[in-house]
Amino acid sequence: MRTINRVRAGAVVVAGVLALSACAGSSSKAGGSSGGSSSTSSAAGSSSASSSSSSSGSNSGKPTLEIGVQGPLSGDNQALGLNIEWGVKLAIKQANDKGDLPFQLAIKEADDQGDQSKGADAANLLIQDQKVIGSVGPAFSGPTAASGKLYSDAGLVAVSPSATRPSLTSSGYKTFYRVVANDSVQGPAAADYMAKVLKATKAFVVDDKSQYGTGLSTAIVAQLKKDGVQVETDSAPAKTQDYSQIASKVASSGAQAMYYAGYYSDAGVFAKALKSAGYTGKMISGDGSKDPNFITTAGADAAEGWQFSCPCLDAGKDPKYADFASGYKALANADPGTYSIEGYDAANVIISVLKGLGTATPTRQQVADGVAKVDYQGLSKEIKFTPTGDIAGSSIYAYEIKSGVISLIGDISKMPGIGS
Amino acid sequence: MYITQHFWELLFQGIRLGSLYALIAIGYTMVYGVLQLINFAHSEVFMSGALGGVFMLTALVGNKGKVPSGFAAFEYTALALVAGAAVGALVAYSLERVAYRPLRIRHAPKLVYLITAIGASIFLYNVAGKLFGRNNLQVPESFHSGKVFVLPGSGAAGPRTVKSLDLLIILAAVAMMIALDLVINRTKLGAGIRAVAQDTETAQLMGVDVNKVISRTFLIGGLLGGIGGVLYGMFHAVTYTMGFVPGIKAFTAAVLGGIGNVRGAMLGGLLLGIVESFGQAQFHLQWVDVVAFVVLVGVLLIRPTGILGERTGRTA
Repeated sequence: MRTINRVRAGAVVVAGVLALSACAGSSSKAGGSSGGSSSTSSAAGSSSASSSSSSSGSNSGKPTLEIGVQGPLSGDNQALGLNIEWGVKLAIKQANDKGDLPFQLAIKEADDQGDQSKGADAANLLIQDQKVIGSVGPAFSGPTAASGKLYSDAGLVAVSPSATRPSLTSSGYKTFYRVVANDSVQGPAAADYMAKVLKATKAFVVDDKSQYGTGLSTAIVAQLKKDGVQVETDSAPAKTQDYSQIASKVASSGAQAMYYAGYYSDAGVFAKALKSAGYTGKMISGDGSKDPNFITTAGADAAEGWQFSCPCLDAGKDPKYADFASGYKALANADPGTYSIEGYDAANVIISVLKGLGTATPTRQQVADGVAKVDYQGLSKEIKFTPTGDIAGSSIYAYEIKSGVISLIGDISKMPGIGS
Repeated sequence: MYITQHFWELLFQGIRLGSLYALIAIGYTMVYGVLQLINFAHSEVFMSGALGGVFMLTALVGNKGKVPSGFAAFEYTALALVAGAAVGALVAYSLERVAYRPLRIRHAPKLVYLITAIGASIFLYNVAGKLFGRNNLQVPESFHSGKVFVLPGSGAAGPRTVKSLDLLIILAAVAMMIALDLVINRTKLGAGIRAVAQDTETAQLMGVDVNKVISRTFLIGGLLGGIGGVLYGMFHAVTYTMGFVPGIKAFTAAVLGGIGNVRGAMLGGLLLGIVESFGQAQFHLQWVDVVAFVVLVGVLLIRPTGILGERTGRTA
């Protein structure tokens, strides 16, 4: 009996220590990534930044270089990060399969959980690994604000598929680029959509107090006012426990349209509360909420009819993207989601630069210089950057949840009444 | 003014949230009573209860995705609550057997319990994340349109309706609290729990099986926490990390009411919910935690042992 108890106690201590060390270990070491040895990342959702590297190629004798991915690979909003990661994995696999690069490419994960306070750790994980010659990410605006300067100082190029806060490209980060239009484009487009397509004369804008949410809501409110719409605003910080009060405020405001600027795991709970408060106006959210998990969280009833503005383009059923979609599905065992295409494009931007350099030992500086001048025909759009790192011209698309599926309505700029 | 116009609505929302805090807080306070241990893994008991409830509901509705309306909704909800209570109780019980009892037998220092509690918490939510995915789970919708009565309100907002779901949350929570109060004060088990809380060694000398009492304390706490989880999941998201914030809030409520005191936990929970509700309306949603903790600090300054806290010096 005593030995059994001892064994039990031992098991508990070991479990506890393991759990804690999973927490502490990751931030201190930059994951010794030697060639083909793959360190599987611990599943600890609590770890600040976990890493794993794996090379998909065979032992072809070529040296291995890595492309980093920084984003929420675990945590509340992991779906967006994983969409991007699989896009990058597909791009890397295709490049390796083609075999025309003088090296093998591998992916290196840096998980920031979409959390601003974890952005710097995740970026350092990539920066300190000399094999990493470019990074796709950071995915979210908060972590980007926390790590943009680190990337810039290290001269490591960071091509984000999805960080849309306007100020990120005016903060003096020398190596930050993004392949989607920022929220100073998305915001006005969404506002015009509410004012001119949905014909709202009164609107309510709610943000989640994050770098992304406040940037987007500021841009929307400014344009709504320009369009002569009466606007009321409020904010509910991410992870708010009880949305019922803010939902009744929206319901009693008489606004015909409500915009939520935040991420899907909060938006879903908010949608539940709005339905329960009996709000009947149009409900719209942005790219951060456009994910099937929004519907899962809110429930089919509460999610039905929600609309989204997004600089992202869904692969959907368009035959143009059939190859991409089938390749993605074979690899990820899931359909491409929000920002999968953009993640794929961002990785291919870096790969195309590497191809152009044609050397087996490219430097980070060479890659950064190459990305600045790149003109690459991506799957979603032609990718060409302005000197500050924004994409030159881009469209914002509107989506709607119809019978439980997020479906494309169209390009907002081409809708009747817009641009007049 | 917003607060006066919406007084009843705010009070109602406060009671709804507060009764959930109270249900969870009971788990913290009872365990503290018998063991002088803050069971930080209790937030994971709450989370597992919610998962149990969701899986039960999902199994019941099948692929329809919705709970049928009418009486069936109550039936389904009752079954989900039973499942949540069972899972919560089971997790809490195993937690005590696996994580705490071995330490107790060896008379481990108090700090070890604390580390174990945190470790168990991290372990449990990661296991849940691994098993059930890290995305929010779908909670089948129930009580779609049930409007029960109308709360008076004035101003632009007008009167607010109260949904059957809201009412159910409050009624279930209050019923559980009354039942618990009866168990603690009227039954032999309750007498045992109180005896162990007052003086473990003397209770043992008087023939109380301390281990059994402690196990049952965990069972009761887990049962209530599990029910709290299911109710919370009905208007919030259910996922592996869902326990953290309500857990911290319920712990706060337990301290506010006087940790170790069961009625104190109920009072503290309700009070915290109401303070948050009015604080949110008066200041802003982002100041909710500030208001809640200012009240906590204020109360502790005047009564260091909490509102219904015992005389100092009792706890070892």
